[in-house]
Amino acid sequence: MLDLLPHILNGLTLGLLFALIALGFTLIVGVMEVINLAHGSLFALGAYFALSLLGGMWFGDTAFGAWWLRLSIETRYVAALFVGPALAAIAGMALELCLRPTYGKAPLYGLLLTFGAALVIEEIIRLGWGTGEQNLMVPASINGPVLVAGFIYSKYKFFAAGFSIVAIFAVWLFLEKTPYGAIIKAGAHDSEMVRALGYDLSKLRLMVFGFGAALAGLAGIIMVPIWGLRPHVGIDVVIPAFLIIVIGGIGSFWGALVAAIMVGLAVGITGAYAGAWATMSMYILLIIVVGFRSRGLFGRKSALEN
Amino acid sequence: MISLSDIPVRSRFQVYAPMAVMAAALSTAPWWLPAIGLYQYLGIEIAIWMIFALGFNLLFGYAGLHSFGHGAYLGIGAYAFGLFQQNVAVSLWGGLAAGILAAGLAGAIVGAFISHRRGIYYALLTIAFGQVFWFTSMKLYGVTGGEDGLLGIPRPPLTLFGLEYALRSNVALFYLAAFFLLATVLLMWRLVNSPFGRVLQAIRQNETRARFAGYEVWRFKWAAFVISAMFAGLAGGLFAMAQQSAYPDVMSLHQSGLIVMMVLVGGGLVSFWGPVLGVILYFVARDVLGGLTETWLLWYGMMFMAMVMLRPEGLAGMIHLGWKRLGGASEKPVILLAEKA
Repeated sequence: MLDLLPHILNGLTLGLLFALIALGFTLIVGVMEVINLAHGSLFALGAYFALSLLGGMWFGDTAFGAWWLRLSIETRYVAALFVGPALAAIAGMALELCLRPTYGKAPLYGLLLTFGAALVIEEIIRLGWGTGEQNLMVPASINGPVLVAGFIYSKYKFFAAGFSIVAIFAVWLFLEKTPYGAIIKAGAHDSEMVRALGYDLSKLRLMVFGFGAALAGLAGIIMVPIWGLRPHVGIDVVIPAFLIIVIGGIGSFWGALVAAIMVGLAVGITGAYAGAWATMSMYILLIIVVGFRSRGLFGRKSALEN
Repeated sequence: MISLSDIPVRSRFQVYAPMAVMAAALSTAPWWLPAIGLYQYLGIEIAIWMIFALGFNLLFGYAGLHSFGHGAYLGIGAYAFGLFQQNVAVSLWGGLAAGILAAGLAGAIVGAFISHRRGIYYALLTIAFGQVFWFTSMKLYGVTGGEDGLLGIPRPPLTLFGLEYALRSNVALFYLAAFFLLATVLLMWRLVNSPFGRVLQAIRQNETRARFAGYEVWRFKWAAFVISAMFAGLAGGLFAMAQQSAYPDVMSLHQSGLIVMMVLVGGGLVSFWGPVLGVILYFVARDVLGGLTETWLLWYGMMFMAMVMLRPEGLAGMIHLGWKRLGGASEKPVILLAEKA
């Protein structure tokens, strides 16, 4: 049992990171009933924006660029944590505008459009940042090894897990305790009624998509130092995210969280016994869960079934 | 938008003319392909993908079941073909039969799991199963050769009535693929216009109502999935011969998405010929656009997005509407249905 402890810890961290990715995904599915296959690409985009910001790539030789590079890495990193997701949010909003003609049609069209968008964003990344694998710098204060109960552990993983917990809690607070959250949840429940009450539904959708995309970008910046940054990282990421929301039940906040931790633990523990097959465990988990509960753990009936 | 049922498929002219054109184009392809600056191998590739796309459209366009993991069955067909050559006997018919049966078996198992699901859950489960197969093919090193795949798959000679034809040249292999393509077109045509095909279309239009009409809907969905997987397996067997290898890449989500894109762009949702047009358009884009710019996939992706937004009925639908506007001004305009698939 004690031998398993680091793997369980690993799995928990992974689960929390998955939850962060799935959060934006589930928000968009809940409100818009669109499976956003470009979510992973927005994730990658956020990370690439942060990469450019940290390296000062955009400012070139200008005075501002020189001043920017003189700032400490911590300052630049914190700035990237805000600006990267904001830029991803703008990309997400542009995608939402493209999605508008598909509203009211079969959910297939949203799926197809975002699949095309994923392809396009991936190609844009290849054009803008090259095809090779890159590294996102992180400040030294959150990098390096740390000793936990006799095990050597990466400090950054603790930072990432902690950050995920804070971010998830913040999103929960936003959804549960603010009027905006109430409108979003109402939009997920009955969008017609929300419109009838005088809220601008198209603005709501734009904002929710932007918010979801920002969460994807944020997850990208946090996750990429662990996973590495490649143009096709988007596809690698969107798959676990959508598995999680299907297992958890489409549109359910707690479902996504529980499912993410289940998937993380499954991957972590399988990794202990058969490293090569770790990723497979999440598909098996999905097939088992959906085989018994067709709407996932906490899912309700939704328009996506038609 | 118009749907499959809006384009009359039974009229004599519309049916046989495209088939004759296609047969003529295929039989002369080795002469005109080099003449317009293309190469023989492209013909094989296009024929294989057309078989795959036509089989896929039985599921996607006719039954309205959106599989996003169909590349897996092409891959299984390719692996089965290769494994048969390497472990059983070097035989064309044996290999192709193995490919079709293996893909059909995999389709039968997966189909049994997913045929009770509807809508987006169906699509999501097909993604998950597709990923399972893709992942297995990468990790099962002893059988599939891991990420490199099976290499050195031979092109066994074609034996027919005691005669033997070598298929080593691309032209010979092209004629084999073209033969199977025409057979696929005829079979598919027969199938979609049979009572079975009608039931599939009924399921697409309204699954609940089809069930109320007394059809055991899930059996039809299962059968459609298996048949379409078998055609994918046939395409996979030919693919293994063309590439002389089988590798996991064809089973990835990317490839499975490409087939969906091809079929939709071509107009598989509204026409029997949609997949054929879509495959041609894709390969023209790849080879012509790809010759001009390295970023052709970006442009293809953007064209796809524009198509989904503005013209989801695809190329075939556009041709159909244009034809109507030119020829049949007296006829009633096609009713644009916002089809809830």
